[in-house]
Amino acid sequence: MKIKLEDTLDQLYEIEGIEACMLYRIDGVPITIRVPGYREYLLETMFWLEKHISRVLGEMNREGLKETIFYFRNNRILIVPSSKSTVLVTIAKAEANQQLISLEALRATRIIEDNI
Amino acid sequence: MKKGRILTGIYGLDDLMDGGFRENTVNSICGGPGVGKTTFALQYSLFGLDRGEKVLYVSFEMSERQIIRDCKDIGWVAIKDYIDDGDLKIVHIFGEDLEFPSLDITEIIKKSIPGHHPRIVIDPFTYPTFYSDKEKRKSISTIFQDLRTLGTTLVVLEEPSDGFSATNYGIPGENPHMNRFLATPLYLSDTVLFLQNLGFGEMYDRTIRIMKHRGSKHGEGIYPYSIETGLGIVLRASKKQIDRITPKTKFDDKFKEALEKTKSMGKLGEKLAVRIESLRKNWIHDENPQPILELVLEE
Repeated sequence: MKIKLEDTLDQLYEIEGIEACMLYRIDGVPITIRVPGYREYLLETMFWLEKHISRVLGEMNREGLKETIFYFRNNRILIVPSSKSTVLVTIAKAEANQQLISLEALRATRIIEDNI
Repeated sequence: MKKGRILTGIYGLDDLMDGGFRENTVNSICGGPGVGKTTFALQYSLFGLDRGEKVLYVSFEMSERQIIRDCKDIGWVAIKDYIDDGDLKIVHIFGEDLEFPSLDITEIIKKSIPGHHPRIVIDPFTYPTFYSDKEKRKSISTIFQDLRTLGTTLVVLEEPSDGFSATNYGIPGENPHMNRFLATPLYLSDTVLFLQNLGFGEMYDRTIRIMKHRGSKHGEGIYPYSIETGLGIVLRASKKQIDRITPKTKFDDKFKEALEKTKSMGKLGEKLAVRIESLRKNWIHDENPQPILELVLEE
């Protein structure tokens, strides 16, 4: 099960334009992450996510949203709940193929849900 | 088994803790109700007992009868034999009955099993009462100092159930109740393991985090675990997670270069070489250490 999760994130991370992807628990604890070494702006975004993910998920639940997108600097941050207790986050470059990334992220969440 | 280490007995945990608890230390496990703290403590005890060690179990809550029953339910039937043989001593007392916890706990331990015994369990440590916060810190510090001379101790800390809320899930540091009740023993412990259960029944709901492990490399992720009848707590860290804390040798040439440079630096260079050698042995990152080594040599 765990290998499947890691593989799913590896495949998502390989998509062109994705800078980082992370699987968080709903309380903001990172379960597994894919990041390209040290990038200050990514670190800031990750700190923000850890602090705010539970609140964002609460709002999404209230509004009945299936995904949420934030724009930080030149990054598009896609937040998609992947199971009852996990959430998948992708950080992509603004010029990346957003439709492809959204579809692939959605596909990944289904695999995660089946394997967690 | 690594020298100077006491294996925890928890399947899969020692690989993430540089070989287990350090000998003669006080190690805390902390968590809310139903996460498996007592199971952890009993598993730690039984692991030692199975290998001929002596164990003292100080219980501030459960009686000997209850402990035996719980052990039998989980499939650890040998516990009764260990008690009968005198290898396991269970002491059941009430925290409120201790007049001077810092003196009484150590006295109880010394009287119960004379001589050196490597495994001591205090379950839970939350019950002894102290007169004031100032006295509490000093007392706990004294108790821990004494415990370190007696053996390798596992202290169970209960997180108050009212500390849980939708926003903090009982994460230390995020929880105001935690600060009041648990902060002192957590700061004074050599190792802190945090057990959690979100309660959704998914893989990452029951997790262990190694919050601190003094003087040792340790995994910094969250690791899912399950409680299996017959075995107890089984941790499931992936190969990648274990690999992340395994020392890498692929940058040895960079360290050798740095060590060569220290030779021309006289006495200071000798001291620096010891540190660099220690860094080389414990370099767990996939990144090139060159920038760090340059920084060190420049200074």
